[in-house]
Amino acid sequence: MSHVIKTSLKQITPITRYFYSCGKNPNLHNIRFYSNKVTTAHDDIYKNFTDWETLNKKKKISKPMRAYLERAKEHDEFMKKQQFEYNIGKRHLANMMGEDPETFTQKDVDRAIEYLFPSGIYDPAARPLMKPPEEVFPARKAAEFDEAGRPHHFLFYTGKPNFFKLLYDAAENIQLLQQFEDKVIRKKATPDPNGKLDLNATLWLTKDQLEQLLVEKLNDLEYDNFKLVMERLASLPYSYRIKDFIEKYRKSLSSQKFALEIPKPSYDDQGRAFVTTYECLRKKARGNVTIHSPGTGLITINGKDLTYFEDTQSREQVIFPLIFTGLEHKVDVECNIEGGGPSGQAGAIRWGIAWGLRSFVDKSMLEAMQVAGLLTRDHRRRERKKPGQPGARKKPTWKRR
Amino acid sequence: MFSSANLLLILGNSIKNSGLYLRTNSTVAQTVTQKEPENTQETVPKRNNPLKHPDYFRVHNLFTVKDLFDARVHFGHKEGSLDEYMTPYLYGSRLGHLIFDLDITADYLRKALNFTAHIAYRGGIICFFNRNALNAHLVEKTAQECGEYAHTRFWRGGIFTNADHQFGAITRLPDLCIFLNTQNNILSQHTAVRDSAKMLIPTIGIVDTNCNPNLVTYPVPGNDDTPCAIELYCKLFKAAILRGKEERMKLLQESE
Repeated sequence: MSHVIKTSLKQITPITRYFYSCGKNPNLHNIRFYSNKVTTAHDDIYKNFTDWETLNKKKKISKPMRAYLERAKEHDEFMKKQQFEYNIGKRHLANMMGEDPETFTQKDVDRAIEYLFPSGIYDPAARPLMKPPEEVFPARKAAEFDEAGRPHHFLFYTGKPNFFKLLYDAAENIQLLQQFEDKVIRKKATPDPNGKLDLNATLWLTKDQLEQLLVEKLNDLEYDNFKLVMERLASLPYSYRIKDFIEKYRKSLSSQKFALEIPKPSYDDQGRAFVTTYECLRKKARGNVTIHSPGTGLITINGKDLTYFEDTQSREQVIFPLIFTGLEHKVDVECNIEGGGPSGQAGAIRWGIAWGLRSFVDKSMLEAMQVAGLLTRDHRRRERKKPGQPGARKKPTWKRR
Repeated sequence: MFSSANLLLILGNSIKNSGLYLRTNSTVAQTVTQKEPENTQETVPKRNNPLKHPDYFRVHNLFTVKDLFDARVHFGHKEGSLDEYMTPYLYGSRLGHLIFDLDITADYLRKALNFTAHIAYRGGIICFFNRNALNAHLVEKTAQECGEYAHTRFWRGGIFTNADHQFGAITRLPDLCIFLNTQNNILSQHTAVRDSAKMLIPTIGIVDTNCNPNLVTYPVPGNDDTPCAIELYCKLFKAAILRGKEERMKLLQESE
């Protein structure tokens, strides 16, 4: 519109000036008045934009930000109150325990609570506790938008910005690597021979770990998508160039490796190698097993020989790992066992012997033992009796009438 | 959301007046000849009201019809999938494939770009949408580069209509939604088109021959599948947004 007006005004102004000097014609007076109005409208441009928060002299805070600030203030006040109550409680506890309130630490608090409120509840999380409020109450989320209400993250409206940013970065990296590969092929260069990404010792983060890293809840489909896109990225020939990015989302297997580590045997006074396995558990039985090598096949159970067990099944259980590895006449076994019945004790000894024999067999035998199930702990326990029936599963005799 | 309805009204007026002006600019030869006089004329006022100007951000010189043709914007879908509301934008059909009239497309696209630049100029939030996996990354990248927002993923219901609950706080919604394709899949429309209409958020949508343009504030008839076409749209919208923001920065510096 202004475009049109402007051109017409341009044509009019010289004439008006001419007539204004005469100062007689009322119609032309009107025209001039009109032109004045237009120019003032242009000066008032800022006033027209009342909704434009940043143009105002003092910065107006948007509605979302105001709501956020109010909530933050509320939260701070609540936490301050909780902190105050915690400190009072701590002093009371210290007085009750007859200790100095000034040097009473969180460890002392836990001890005092355990002493003053003894609880037999199985789950420790359900027992009484007194912890600093910042551990008990969840942390407040930081504001995700600025004062004008504009979100900080460009994928904010997806609801899971961090997760989708991760997928975005992965896609970006895939594109970059493909471009790089094209460049190498075009130059007919040979790929770097030592550039290889070794992913054998690590695994992708589990869903829980990824959720913790991204601070967002994911569903199974999204986690599968994450693994899919990362697998694809890692399978590219030049993936070693973005090693840092990939390794951020992988976790090493070191904890599993540690469990599989086989102990080196120690040597006694006579120079015989021996390995002791503590905590051999099965059902209610517990004990420890020592294996001496070389030996003559002597088996000592609580000071007696194999006749400690009266039934043949238990005896077979005990000697099974020795026969399986072919070491029945080459090692001596000594064990102390208590608790449980014969089958539980025999099972515990069997596992203890097999676990100790790992130090005296070669790798292929170790794998065979693994496959035979000798190295697997049996975690089954007695099932509890149910009310209304004579045993764990047994029901009363069924009668029609 | 600021008074975008008001803005729409004013813009609509200015565009109505300038329709002819833009239309004549839609071919290559004419742009070249018209550029010079327009440039000399436009420099007259330092800062006038952008809303009173037909094309304050000069978005008409961002592209030509030839650019659209080169980016294969004219290709529609097959005849059988035609949505009848799209017939006015068609040039014809060739070997069973519908072809858009690019003169009309250019006109609508310029209106859309002009509106985008105005929204960016006034500090509005612009959100890009696209449900085509092939182009999703490009769209997200564009959004990031121009400092705006993107949503190219599965649309959870209620992001607009139940925003306070979805985001756990009062949230400012986008002031403009740009749909680089308006379909969720080939059968159904993107729910955000409907939700934007419900929340009075203006929308710009690239509508192909199988899409319904009725709920889109600024429909742009054109091919919404081909990557090079999407690339062109992204480039244009980004340029428009950056022009708007540049002007905004200038204005803010002046007013300080």
